[in-house]
Amino acid sequence: MIYAFKLPTINPHMSGARIECVYAEPGKPLKNGSKLFDLGVDLSSAFAQECPPVSFFRVVLREPVFLRKLNVGRGQLCEIGELIALFSNEADESLSGEPVRDIRFAVAGIIHHEGLWTGNVA
Amino acid sequence: MDGERGLIELPLRLGPLCADGYNIFRSGIRWLIQPGQYCRANQIFAYCNLSLEATGIRMSGGLPPFAEEMELQVAFAPRAAGRILGAGAERGGYLSILGVDGWDAGAVIAHSETAAEPDDVDVERLRLLMLAGRRMTELADVHSGLLPGWHGRTRGWWCDEGERPVSLLSLGVCDATGVVIGERCAFAEMFEAATAPTQMIFVPDRPLVPAAPVLIDQLERKPAQAQAIAADMHRFLSDSTVTPTAEDWMVSGALLSVLQRSPIQDAYNLLTPSGTVRTKPADAVLLSLSSESQSILRHKSLGYHVHIMRHHQGAAGPVIRAWLASAFETVKRSIDDIRGDYVRLLDAIQTATGARALVINRMSTSGHEDISSYVSFDAPMSGTLSSIAAKEHNLMLHDLAEHRDLAIIDVDAIAVDLGGAEHLPDGIHQSGLIQAALRVEILHALEDLRPETRLK
Repeated sequence: MIYAFKLPTINPHMSGARIECVYAEPGKPLKNGSKLFDLGVDLSSAFAQECPPVSFFRVVLREPVFLRKLNVGRGQLCEIGELIALFSNEADESLSGEPVRDIRFAVAGIIHHEGLWTGNVA
Repeated sequence: MDGERGLIELPLRLGPLCADGYNIFRSGIRWLIQPGQYCRANQIFAYCNLSLEATGIRMSGGLPPFAEEMELQVAFAPRAAGRILGAGAERGGYLSILGVDGWDAGAVIAHSETAAEPDDVDVERLRLLMLAGRRMTELADVHSGLLPGWHGRTRGWWCDEGERPVSLLSLGVCDATGVVIGERCAFAEMFEAATAPTQMIFVPDRPLVPAAPVLIDQLERKPAQAQAIAADMHRFLSDSTVTPTAEDWMVSGALLSVLQRSPIQDAYNLLTPSGTVRTKPADAVLLSLSSESQSILRHKSLGYHVHIMRHHQGAAGPVIRAWLASAFETVKRSIDDIRGDYVRLLDAIQTATGARALVINRMSTSGHEDISSYVSFDAPMSGTLSSIAAKEHNLMLHDLAEHRDLAIIDVDAIAVDLGGAEHLPDGIHQSGLIQAALRVEILHALEDLRPETRLK
């Protein structure tokens, strides 16, 4: 079965997010708890503040799957609901069908680190 | 309406204001409200600029009071709530900017339609909120609004005849800034809440974040060390193969200005109805726990610390950015390191001025995460997860408060009460409601520093 990961609404004030880190590679098996991405959410568009209200979040898997297709790269900005990645139960399962549901994942707020795009590359 | 039956119209007079050895001149009145607008007691509704002119020949040198604070203003508030009549007309042009009229205590600037009794003590006399700003450069002379321009320090004070205000110095980041200076950046909301004599002093978090190691360095720095910092910076800018840009020079100047001061040790002049009063350094210092990041820059040879927020580093040109990258090393700070820095800072403050520390703790929960298992995160989790890091920092603060004179301003609890997702969406920039609650907590923590309280 095919599963999708679309950019979720982590904060009701956000309009999108930046892919700060990509931890997984297409074709590789991922277990429950594997890190997928770090995301940067900038609320500047929602609040007029001198200090950019940027928060960072980590997305981790809550089920074992294979990452099959990655539509984004590090540093890329994505909109809410945008298809970020496709997963499957089997390594060689056809991706021709529609995803049956969204992948199960958890989101955690993280501290800025040296691997993030923001503050290190840009 | 029944409630308006007893309304009377009272003149609102400037009241006395004196500076020893100086005449006070004021600009035309500038209004912050519409004609006929209702004003709460202690809500500022107008302001003007002030200038001081010596009354006689000076016998010797020495800087006059407020010489380094080129921004001097006074804002007006009624002592009783009412509709302000007569607002709106301004003289305009430079007459609304420059000191063109001598201070006249009996001058009436507006009337108030109020339910106050006319024989209430001083109800006709305006409450004066004095405002002073130390510009980062004399070039930053912006003429519009309250405390306009670029300041390295701003302050405001209520002070009536015979009163001695308690002073709070704000040395925090965004979670303190909005609470202290408010939306108009002139302490208006704070002074509406602070009816007792109080002085608020604000030092911005740019170019340097007031992290504990930065503040300790400022307190302990000797003149020779300040000179060594200036010489080192000059050497790097001069030896650079890249020509420094205007941004490099401006940021280096701002950095030098901040590195050579220690705001915790500043003493202050106050204009009051009876003359100039000199006060000691601030009675309390407001800090943000959020200033304490897990890494900080330390100069490789001179050993001093700088911490510049990422979004402020962009103000520098290529040479200062190269200087930060090559002349400094990144020092990682564990929770124990931060605790140690706080102990040193609190002890240094006690030795230098005896001020009480008030610390705004950190929001430690987030409705935006849904962690079902912590197995995915490596130990120590406070090195990765912001909510756990915040909880450990907050616990550290409670441990410290057992042994040091430290008041915790508990934004963590207030945000949980009021709703973090609605009022603190990114964990640091609060809504007006949370800011109002924090002001109450801060003012409460100042209460037992007042002389009359200490005598009890």
